[in-house]
Amino acid sequence: MDSVVITITSGKGGVGKTTTTANIGTALALMGKKVVIADADIGLRNLDIVLGLENRIVYDSVDFVEGRCKLRQALIRDKRAGELYLLPAAQTRDKTAINPQQMIAMINELRDEFHYILIDSPAGIEQGFQVAVAPADRVLVVTNPEVSSVRDADRVIGLSEALEKGPAMLIINRINSARVRKKDMLSVEDITEILGSQVIGVVPEDEEILSSTNRGQPVVLNSKGSAAQAYRDIARRIVGENVPLTMPSNGSFWQKLFGRA
Amino acid sequence: MASFREFFFGKKSAEDAKSRLQFVLIHDRAEISPGLFEEIRNDIIMAISNRLNIDPSYISINMDEEAGERRLLVDVPLKNARRPTATRSTADTRR
Ligand SMILES: Nc1ncnc2c1ncn2[C@@H]1O[C@H](COP(=O)(O)OP(=O)(O)O)[C@@H](O)[C@H]1O
Ligand SMILES: [Mg+2]
Repeated sequence: MDSVVITITSGKGGVGKTTTTANIGTALALMGKKVVIADADIGLRNLDIVLGLENRIVYDSVDFVEGRCKLRQALIRDKRAGELYLLPAAQTRDKTAINPQQMIAMINELRDEFHYILIDSPAGIEQGFQVAVAPADRVLVVTNPEVSSVRDADRVIGLSEALEKGPAMLIINRINSARVRKKDMLSVEDITEILGSQVIGVVPEDEEILSSTNRGQPVVLNSKGSAAQAYRDIARRIVGENVPLTMPSNGSFWQKLFGRA
Repeated sequence: MASFREFFFGKKSAEDAKSRLQFVLIHDRAEISPGLFEEIRNDIIMAISNRLNIDPSYISINMDEEAGERRLLVDVPLKNARRPTATRSTADTRR
């Protein structure tokens, strides 16, 4: 199968990597693709709880690497989204439990069967990041419109280029269009100019993210809100559809009344 | 026209964010910290002023990046070394 391995990373923590991975993976599966989302944040796993699959974990990627299970046994099917599978990280181990070669071998085993394999990277630029990026065909860098995350994004873009992963693409998360309009927040244009990278998606700051995470239901499953729409658009761009980049709105009064049935 | 807010509080914060990021990323990418850069700057001033009559306060040394190419731009206005007391105004190239 012509599979694509995409690592979602950022440098800085808390910018929305896990939320982004969960939603793009779910959106791709809802489009009929066979998808694995792999948690590479060993010791601080969160994809399971964001997806609402935390109660179903038996084995994890470290169990596979250390020979305690088959890779199939570690995959958890998310039946809400067709052919979507979670490959959980170990929670009681650390970033040294899997090295880059083992990661590449593990992900390669999935390539025959899946269209997309998304890897949720830990924060930082040390071993955990190196392992998460090692098997990637493409790298997506999540940033917030805020100085420290943009600076860290630049670092990570440089590092993935040095690892010959091609030009990384940007996801600008948590943008607030009203504040951008007031020139009180970096705009998409500012960030593209500063980083010199192409943007694959712009996700607004959206209250729905918190409530959907509380419930373990990625917004793309059932919301018409602007963040959900932004994640679906990114998924469509990933499969090669030509979806123009639009500036998402942050839910005006009228949108809140009518737009989110 | 400057808005009420701009008049009292200066530039919009996004503009500050942008220019500060552009500055710091030039240093990050070149792997030259602003501190090391200051040292290089002092070395250059020393090297030149040992041999030429210059006014260190008019030297400008900047890092610049355009189309992925980084360069160090050094601008050293020269005082007229031979005739330091010349009265001709052209002797003074300072601006
Ligand atoms: N677009 C968004 N709007 C509102 N909150 C968001 C958005 N994206 C992420 N968040 C919140 O930000 C926090 C960090 O997100 P997370 O995906 O865990 O980041 P990371 O994996 O990079 O550490 C979470 O509380 C999440 O709900
Ligand atoms: Mg995370």
